[in-house]
Amino acid sequence: MARLRGKHPPQSAPTEASLLARARAGDVGAFEQLAGAHADRLFAVLLRLLGDRSEAEDVAQEVMLRAWQGIGRFQGRSGFFTWLYRIAVNEANRSLDQRSRRPASVSIDAQALQLPASPHDEPPRQAENSELRAALGKALTGLPPPYRTAIVLRDVEGLSTQQAAEIVGVGQAAFKSRLHQARLRVRAAIGDEALITAGG
Amino acid sequence: MRLFGRANDHQWSQQHLSHYIEGDLGRRAQRRLGRHARDCVDCRRGILAMRALVHMIHGLDGVGGVRAPAGIFDRVRADGAGGERGGASPAPPQNA
Repeated sequence: MARLRGKHPPQSAPTEASLLARARAGDVGAFEQLAGAHADRLFAVLLRLLGDRSEAEDVAQEVMLRAWQGIGRFQGRSGFFTWLYRIAVNEANRSLDQRSRRPASVSIDAQALQLPASPHDEPPRQAENSELRAALGKALTGLPPPYRTAIVLRDVEGLSTQQAAEIVGVGQAAFKSRLHQARLRVRAAIGDEALITAGG
Repeated sequence: MRLFGRANDHQWSQQHLSHYIEGDLGRRAQRRLGRHARDCVDCRRGILAMRALVHMIHGLDGVGGVRAPAGIFDRVRADGAGGERGGASPAPPQNA
């Protein structure tokens, strides 16, 4: 491929690779642009994993700081997004671990994990689904962190098994097994009858 | 020739419902579970419930409405202004 030496399209957006190179060289602005592209989604994941907004905000700042401080060691074997999410999951787990050691632990906000009402639902169905959504939120918040992480990454975020497994740092077979166990627990908490009825 | 007994089929099927609904089993395994479920009320019910559950979880939304906090880069800026990287925080994953 021909290279245009020294010539850049005047208004083209910088590529991830060029932002990465600048960030590695210590350019904070480039890092913010690079990581900022994933910030909303990353924060939503933290909110779902932690269930507490102020804790999620604190952890999100820590994730960005750790990514910034470690970007020189990022070798690009996985995508930047995967690497950033892995830091986020590790930090969320660390925070949950610290929370579990505190005497008065913060309760997880089940609302953070609930489904919004569908505008297409008929009113009686909305009420029924609202109960189901509440039950789902409660069941998800009650899951042990590794199971909740599996469901959030794969089923809520829609990541591929490969991506999700890379983020949590296990093989794909182990991840699938963990995900299945997580779904079984949620299914048991909600009940087959309610699920099947809702599924139509 | 049947390689597995009905009891084995049932136990195995229950352990692979998630994989089945996602079409994540090999062709032979997919057929095995499907064949078993035709005769097993529990497994048919399990498939329906699992499909409904995953569908419902997929409907969990909020990313569109959730915005990262304005100060998400505050610590990065403070660290960057200090001119030092790789400070006190533990190292992020190495194998990336």
